[in-house]
Amino acid sequence: MSILLLAFDAILLTTLLGLATAAVLSPEPRRATMLFIAFGLWLSLVWARLSAPDVALAEAAIGAGIGGALMLAAARRAARRHADIDADATIDTSEDAR
Amino acid sequence: MDTSTVDLALNLYSILLGIAGAFFFIAGTVGVLRLPDIFTRLHALTKADNLGLGLILLALLPQAPTLLYGIKLLLLWWLVLLAGATGAHLIAQCAARSSDLKDRF
Amino acid sequence: MSMPAIFLGLALVLLVTMTAGLLRIVIGPSPADRMMAAQLLGTSGIGVLVLLAPALQMPALIDVGLIFALLAAVSVTAFTRRRIDQD
Repeated sequence: MSILLLAFDAILLTTLLGLATAAVLSPEPRRATMLFIAFGLWLSLVWARLSAPDVALAEAAIGAGIGGALMLAAARRAARRHADIDADATIDTSEDAR
Repeated sequence: MDTSTVDLALNLYSILLGIAGAFFFIAGTVGVLRLPDIFTRLHALTKADNLGLGLILLALLPQAPTLLYGIKLLLLWWLVLLAGATGAHLIAQCAARSSDLKDRF
Repeated sequence: MSMPAIFLGLALVLLVTMTAGLLRIVIGPSPADRMMAAQLLGTSGIGVLVLLAPALQMPALIDVGLIFALLAAVSVTAFTRRRIDQD
């Protein structure tokens, strides 16, 4: 039982760190958002393992669900703005565009 | 039949159904990783995974401490089936609509 | 072997398949593939939570599983809405 729990925790933690790194280092907004949703699900599992079902519930609903949906919409706007800027060849960053 | 025999039978039932469910989950993941295009992957994912989850929930049913808990398990499966079918349909529709714009999608 | 240990072992198997499914999110060629893999993650996550509930004696984990099921529907809808108002 304890060795199973140890293996469970090891997989959970290494994958959580890997997901967080991948989400932060991802260059494309939509991909980063998908990774963030996956990260939220995973973090929720970690909270469940830490015997905190209430925090896991909040993390899954707010962190991954609502946050993920809002960030998907934001990533869409960012992609559209990038497309506009790329069409306008004289400006190359979004900060300069405004 | 005494209670220990019944317990043994229920435990065996749980173990067998649980292993079957885990097998379907493994099959679904292998399908998602190995199949060539998005529609075949979607088909592997939706059916195999929902069936695997259903088998695992059925395996847990005799271990449920209260009746409410068991009902909640069945409701969870129902919700997953609804959400899975809707989501798969939306993704497939969206992929089919923009399959000519492969680079944008 | 006791039942909680068996359930924990099954949860471990499911966690390994979840980790393998993450590969599709990282490499997945199109955003739809990534969204699909996120859905796979949600379903397997429910499996893990439901199995952890008797293994760790925490019945409340079922409610987290219900939220996971809702979350899959919400995020997929948010994802496909993007296409509809852009086309």
